[in-house]
Formats: sequence, structure tokens, C-alpha cells
Amino acid sequence: MKSLIKIIFSLFVIVVFFSCSDKAQRNIQYMPDMYRPVPYEAYSTNPNFANGLSSQQPVAGTVARGSAPYDYPNTEEGYQAAKANLVSPLDSTQVDYKKGKKLFNMYCAICHGKKGDGNGVLSQRDKFVGIPNYASREITEGSIYHVIMYGRNMMGSHASQLQPAERWQVVHYVEKLRNDLKK
Amino acid sequence: MKIVNQHSPIQQLTKLTFVLLFIFSTSLFAQQGDAANGKKLFKANCAACHKLDKKVLGPPLKGVSEKRDRKWLYSWIKNSAEFIKSGDADAKAIFEEFKIPMTPFPQLSNKDIDDILAYTDDKPAKKAASGAGASTKVDPKVKLGKKLFKANCAACHKMEGKLVGPGLKGVTERREKEWLHAWIKDNNALRKSGDAIAKQVFEENGKMPMTPFPQLSDDDIDALLAYFKVGDVKKVVKNTAGVNTTKKEKKSSGAWMNWVVILVILGLLIWMFLSKVTFLKIIATVFLLLVGAYFTFDWLMGIGVDQGYQPIQPIAFSHKIHAGDNKIDCQYCHSSAKHSKTSGVPTANVCMNCHKSISEVADDTRVGALGKEQLDKEIQKIYNAVGWDSDNMKYKENYKPIPIKWIRVHNLPDFAYYNHSQHVTVAGIKCQKCHGPVEKMDEMKQHSPLTMRWCLDCHKATDVNLDNKYYAKIHKQLSEKYGVEKVTIAQLGGKECGKCHY
Repeated sequence: MKSLIKIIFSLFVIVVFFSCSDKAQRNIQYMPDMYRPVPYEAYSTNPNFANGLSSQQPVAGTVARGSAPYDYPNTEEGYQAAKANLVSPLDSTQVDYKKGKKLFNMYCAICHGKKGDGNGVLSQRDKFVGIPNYASREITEGSIYHVIMYGRNMMGSHASQLQPAERWQVVHYVEKLRNDLKK
Repeated sequence: MKIVNQHSPIQQLTKLTFVLLFIFSTSLFAQQGDAANGKKLFKANCAACHKLDKKVLGPPLKGVSEKRDRKWLYSWIKNSAEFIKSGDADAKAIFEEFKIPMTPFPQLSNKDIDDILAYTDDKPAKKAASGAGASTKVDPKVKLGKKLFKANCAACHKMEGKLVGPGLKGVTERREKEWLHAWIKDNNALRKSGDAIAKQVFEENGKMPMTPFPQLSDDDIDALLAYFKVGDVKKVVKNTAGVNTTKKEKKSSGAWMNWVVILVILGLLIWMFLSKVTFLKIIATVFLLLVGAYFTFDWLMGIGVDQGYQPIQPIAFSHKIHAGDNKIDCQYCHSSAKHSKTSGVPTANVCMNCHKSISEVADDTRVGALGKEQLDKEIQKIYNAVGWDSDNMKYKENYKPIPIKWIRVHNLPDFAYYNHSQHVTVAGIKCQKCHGPVEKMDEMKQHSPLTMRWCLDCHKATDVNLDNKYYAKIHKQLSEKYGVEKVTIAQLGGKECGKCHY
């Protein structure tokens, strides 16, 4: 009889041992010193900055590698000026429609549609309505770039998602779509 | 004593056909040409900046044709900038108020604009008709009532809760039918006639006389009353809740079976221990030791592995709704995956690209146990983080942003190096290969174990894309070295310790 109690008790201990797993908690780690980074990680909190974040915005007046200064202001005048004066730095050999298409389908087609006709998935599902057809708007290289940079009306800025070089590839692809639509 | 009206069947039939004909004709009218085309045009051209009943970038457009005359609207819509220049006082005033020039629409003809205006005027009736059309089981009379309610009453009354006038749901229980008829048609006359209840209602509601509605027929008012009695029928939500509970029941019945098996084995073991035969005791002990060793080993192997980790995030964000239902590309939000070691958690400005205009979820949206009411509050959390004032459609000035503290799910230990751009851009692997069917997950969880063995299994099995001419020489040397035509990642060096551990 004594052994019976012992057996049941040990089984109980085992069951309890394995049953307490909480999927909202991480598992235990062997030598956590080697698991957890000493430096601050990209998205960690950071007490050294006033806003407590590790990821900071570029310091004013500096240009990060891979980006370029953009002088047109985020105003109606800036838009008109960019529309009239801003031209693409890419020549015809640097324009890569394949890359432009990939980026366009990733960042723009969800609203503007894969053909640029304003009939993307969000528009079809009535989540975001009133998206213009490229063919019906007077847009230029400069204005397309300006709008990607700052957004316009209900469209937000996509500058944080696309680097300058990528924006220009998208600009050229948009112009191609627009010409196809106008045919 | 009750007075019972005796209707002959023929009378009832004619009444029924009359009602049906009436409903049919109204629904036909609602779908007719103008407004329908106008709706299309509105969605394609105007809706980016205008809503019907709320200020967005431009003013709300419901009933705009009553505010301005038609010629004025034609010239404004076709080219507002020039119209302002021409010196029109109203046009100037509007520009001053909103400060943004409206996109010109020279491509719209006068007919198109008429259609759009028909739509902006007609909206309340149309919305009611389509809303009622969706719920198939609603009594046509109630449907008609709802339509009339939206067209006539909704400006001052809600169904539940006070607006200008009292809430109207269940009003039929509070007042007599005849009284309501008289009141709705001309409440002023009723009050003057000395009716005590009418006077009391007038006093209770801030002495505001209600607009009389002599144009409503007795049948119309009956329909309205039918609608007040029933109210809106809630449908979809109940259904999904039902499905959820049945699923849970199924799951729990499966677990119940497991417990039976375990109990049977336990019973058997205890019986073996208690028996007098030594052989059985030894068998049972060996069995127990093996089982114990299995579980212990399993547990040890799981140390530092977080497969299935599913923390509770600060916002009940659903990947299923965003990436699954709305088919937003993973990299739209996780845009740094293509260039960087980390696939970034999007900053709130990326959320705001869409949620500037989407401030509430659709009526039947559900995430787990959360319904529309809670989910709208979840969207509000983004607004609190960035300081967005959704009523005035602009960012609050001098607002200190409050970062959203998302909890990282996938995290490799610091001694292993992993680079997203190498896998996403160079190899072109789909995110789902490692992260699992995220587009089906309401709540994000870790799909893969992220152990070294798991990495190496894939490196050994995956062939390198040999199309890149730049590396042609190296690829050729490698394939000669291993005597194969296709080179795997492991043969390219994807198995070397120093690649990931340094």
C-alpha cells in the first residue's frame, strides 16, 4: 500500500511538471548570458535617448548613406514646383521595369491596382475608396516622386518604406502603366 | 370589449399584393440609373477626399446640392482653381476654410455631375435599402419602416438613446397607435388640441417642437411603428459565435479521449505494481523509466526553443485581416526585410497610411473573442500613439508620440547571426517558409523551432539559383568539386560554423 502512494505521488509530480507550459511565456534558456545581447538591439528600449528608443530618426542636417537630400517642401507650392522641375536622375539604361514592377506590386498595387487603374484589393473591398486611375490625372515624374515622398490628400508618405533609388524605379513603372492605360 | 376586424381572404390578398407592389416599385426606384452611376463616379473620383456625412480632407457632401446651385457646382468641380481666380466669393471662402485646392475634374460631364449629385442627395434612402436587402428574413414592412426612419426621423432620433428627440425603439409599447399616428402627422395640432401626453412630451424634450410629417401616409406610419417594435436585426455576429463554440466543444472532446487513454494506462501500471508477480513489476518499472526518460529528454531538447510562443501584444493586431483578407504584401509593413538584417516592425506612420481613413472595422469583423466594439478601440490605440485627431482629421499639435511596445516573437539567440535581406532579396524565399501561414493567424505565434538543426536541414535541401552570371565561375568550380549539377546552400558554405557563429 505504501508503494502505491509513492507511485501515485511521483506520477502526480511528473504530470504537474510537464503541464505548466504557458505559450505567452518564453521557454527557459541555458546560459542566458549567451542568448541575450549586450548591445542595444534595433527595436529595444534605450535609456540613453530622451525618447527611450534605440531606433532614432536621422540627425537634422545629415544625409544617411543611400538617401539623398530633397529640397522641395511638403506644400502645395512644393508639389507644383516638383511637378514642373523635378526630373529623374536615372537614364534609360538604369530603368529596371522588373524591379519597379516588384516594388509597385508590393507598395502601391494594394490600392492603385496592378494596372494602375485605381482598382486594388482595398478598393475592391471598399476599405479605401476614391482611388484615381493614373490615366485620368496629369502627373509627371516629379509629381509622382513628390507624392511618394510626402503623400498627398489621403495617401500617406511612403518614404520610410522605399529608398530614393527605389522610388525612382517605381516612378518610371508608374509612368509606363499610365502610358499603357492611355493607349 | 374588443373590436375585431374581420377581413375576407380576398381583401387580405389585395392588401398583400399592394404592399408587395409598393416595395417592389420603391426598390426599383432606388436602383434606377442616376444615383447608381453617381455612386460609381463618387467612389472613383470624390471618395478619396470626401465622405457623405463626415469631414475628411474636404467637406461632407450629403445634400450639397441644396447648399449650392447647380451651375456653381459644375464650374467648381470642373476646375476649382480657375473658379477661385475668377473671383467667386463662395469659392474663395471655401478655399480659405480648407486651404487645399481641390483636384480639377474636367473629364466629368454635366450629366456625370448630375449623377453624382443624385447620389449624394439620395444616400440615406439607398443605404437603408441595401442594408435591409442583406438581411433576408426581415419582414418587408419593417424594411420599409427602416428606410422611412433613416429618411425622415434619423436626423433627430436614434433607435436607442436620446439624440434631439427620445430613442424610438419600443415606443409602440409606451404609446397608443392612434396617438402616434396623430403625433407624427402634426404634433403641433395634437398639442393644441389639449392632449396631455403631447404636452408632457413637449416639456420633457426641451420644448422643441418636432417637425410635422403630413406627407407620411397611414401605411408609412404603420411600417415605421413595425420597425420601432422590432428594431435592427443582428445577424452575422451570432453565427460566428456559434461556430466558435462548436469548435471548442470538438476540441475538448478530443482532449477527453486522451485522458481516458492515459487513465487506462495508469490503471494498468498500478495493477501491475500491486500484483504478486515480480516479472510484471519489472516490466512496469522499465516502462515507467523509459517514459520518464522520453519526457525528460524532450524537455531538455526544448530548452531555449520557443516554438509556439504567442505573447499577448499591446494591440490585438490580426495578420489574418491585413495579410490574408486584404492581401497586403508582407513587405508593405515589414519593409526593411529587403535591405536589412532585421525585418522591421513597422512604425506607426505605416499604420496611418491606411488607418487615417479607416477608423473603424466592418460590422461583422471578429478577432478571436473581440467584436467590432473592442476592435474599434484597438484602432484608437494607434491614434493615441501618434496623436491623431480622427474627428478633425489632423495630427494634434505638440503631441509627444507614445511608442507601441510590440513584443518580439521571433528572436534568435545572440550567438547566431541571421540576415533577412540575404534570404528575402537574394534567395527570394517567401516569408511563410519560416514564419508559417501568418496570413491565417489572428494572433501571431512562432511557427518554426528556429533551432540549428532546422536551419541546416533547409540549407542541405535547398538548391542555389545558378542564374547569376557574376558568380558563374564559382558555381562551376563548386559543381565540379562535388560532382553535381545543382549546388545546395550547404555545399556553397551554408554549413560552415563561422557563417553564423562568430
